[in-house]
Amino acid sequence: MKNKYRLKDWQELPIGGVVADGGNSADYETGTWRTSRPVWNAENCINCLNCWVFCPEDAFILKDGISKKGTPRKEIDRINYYHCKGCGLCARECPVNKKGKKIAIDYVKEEH
Amino acid sequence: MSKIVAITGAGAMSECMRQINPDVVPAFPITPSTQVIEDFSQFVADGKVDTEIITVESEHSAMSACLGAAIAGGRVMTATSSAGMALMWEMLYIAASMRQPIILSLINRALSAPINIHADHSDAMGARDAGWIQLYAENNQEAYDNLIMAPKIAENMDVRLPIMVCMDGFIISHCVQTMQLEDDDKVKEFIGEFESTYPLLDTVHPATWGALDLQNYYIEHKRAQHMAMKNAKKIIQKVSAEFAAFFGRNYDLFESYRLDDAERVIIAINSVCGEIKEVIDDRREAGDKVGLLKIRSFRPFPYDEIAQALEGVKIVTVLDRSESMGAYGPLFVEIRTALFDASKKPMVYNRIFGLGGRELFMSDIHDIFDENKTYLKTGKVEKMFDYLKVRGG
Repeated sequence: MKNKYRLKDWQELPIGGVVADGGNSADYETGTWRTSRPVWNAENCINCLNCWVFCPEDAFILKDGISKKGTPRKEIDRINYYHCKGCGLCARECPVNKKGKKIAIDYVKEEH
Repeated sequence: MSKIVAITGAGAMSECMRQINPDVVPAFPITPSTQVIEDFSQFVADGKVDTEIITVESEHSAMSACLGAAIAGGRVMTATSSAGMALMWEMLYIAASMRQPIILSLINRALSAPINIHADHSDAMGARDAGWIQLYAENNQEAYDNLIMAPKIAENMDVRLPIMVCMDGFIISHCVQTMQLEDDDKVKEFIGEFESTYPLLDTVHPATWGALDLQNYYIEHKRAQHMAMKNAKKIIQKVSAEFAAFFGRNYDLFESYRLDDAERVIIAINSVCGEIKEVIDDRREAGDKVGLLKIRSFRPFPYDEIAQALEGVKIVTVLDRSESMGAYGPLFVEIRTALFDASKKPMVYNRIFGLGGRELFMSDIHDIFDENKTYLKTGKVEKMFDYLKVRGG
C-alpha cells in the first residue's frame, strides 16, 4: 500500500506550487496540535448544534435524527479528532455548560 | 505585409506588443517606465488592440498586477527600465517561482545614485538570479525578433517561466534605425494562442496559488524551477529555428562573429556589439584574427556551448556594462566558469565600461584589441580587472 505520508519528489509537484485540487485541507491532520481535548457527553447534549456552528475546524460530525416532537433534525454524532485542534470553543459556547448544572462538552487535558 | 520601417527600439517593442495583442498590460505610466508603454497606450486608445491596460501607482504594483492577471489566465506583458525594474524586485521572484510566463520588455538603464537613466546593464544583471529568462539584443531588429519569440519560449509547457527582452537604453530604445516589421497576421500565426495553467477564472476547477511552502517542500519547488530554466535552453534554440523558417532571420543562444579562426576575442552584450563588429571588419582586412562572441541568452547561460565556441581562441576580453562591487563583472564570472573545464584555456580578463551611458567609441575598441595583442605577446594579463574610459585611470 502507498504510504500517504510519503513526501513527493520534485518531479511529482504541480507547477509553481499551485494547489490544484480544491478542498484538500480535509486531508491535513490538525489533530496533532491539541494540548487539550473536548469530550462530548451524549446524555447531556440538547443538540442545539452551537458547537457545530462555532467549531473552526468543522470537527463536529452530524447525523440524521428525530426530535422528541417527532420532527426530523440533525444531531451530533461524534467529534472528528483528526481535525480537532482542541481550541475549546465548543465547550465554551455550549449552552448546557453555561447553565452549569450539567456538562455536555468536557474540556480535558490531552493525554499523549 | 512585411515592410522595412524606420523606428526607434521602443517603437519596435510597442509595435510587437500590438501584434501580440496581449490580454492585459499593467504598467506604471510615467518615467522610468518607457516610451514602449506610451506608444502602446496609444494603440489601446485607438482600439488597435483588445488589451486591458492597467495604469498602476508603482512598478511594484505593475508586476503584482501582471502576476494577478497571469494567474487569472491571461497573456500578460509590461515594460520598464532602471529604478522601475528595481522596484519590481520582490514580484520578479514571485512571478518566476509561480511559473507565470509574463513578458517584460526591459530597456537597460543605470540605477541611482547619482541619478542616471542612460544605457547600463545594472537593472537586468541585478535581477539575473530572479529566475527570469533573459534575452539581449544588439539593435531594434533583434529586440523586436526576441519579443516575437518571447511568448513561444516562455509559454512552452516545459518552461513556463517569465521572460525579459532587453535592449540598451537610449542608444537603441530612443534611436531610429531601419528594420523589418513583419506582417501582423504572420506574427499572430507564429505566436499562437495562449494556453493557461490552472487559471483562477476557471471556477469549475478552483485552485490555490501562492500557498505557504515550508522546509519539507520549498527546495523541491526550486529544483523544479531549475529544471524549467534548463529546459529553456533547448526551447530557445527550437523557437529560434522555427523563427528562422518563418521569418528568415537566424538566432542562437549567442552569436559568433568571425569566431572560427579568431585568436583574440571580445565577449559583450547588447548595442556595443555593433561597434565591435565594425572594428573587427576593419582589423580583419588587415589580417588581424579577431572576433566577437555576443551573448543573447544570459539566463539560461550556455556554458558548454560557449566553451566549445571559444576552442582555439587564445585571449578573451570580457566587457561588462554593470558592476558587482567587490567582485568581477557578472558576464566575466560566467565566462571564466564556462572556460574552467576547457582543455586549452584561453587567457581571460575583465573590463568594465559604459556605466551610466558612457560611450565606447570604435577607437576605444581598437585600443582593447591592441591591449589584448600585447597581453598575448607577453603571455601575461597585466590587469585582470579594470575600468575603461574613466578619468584618473
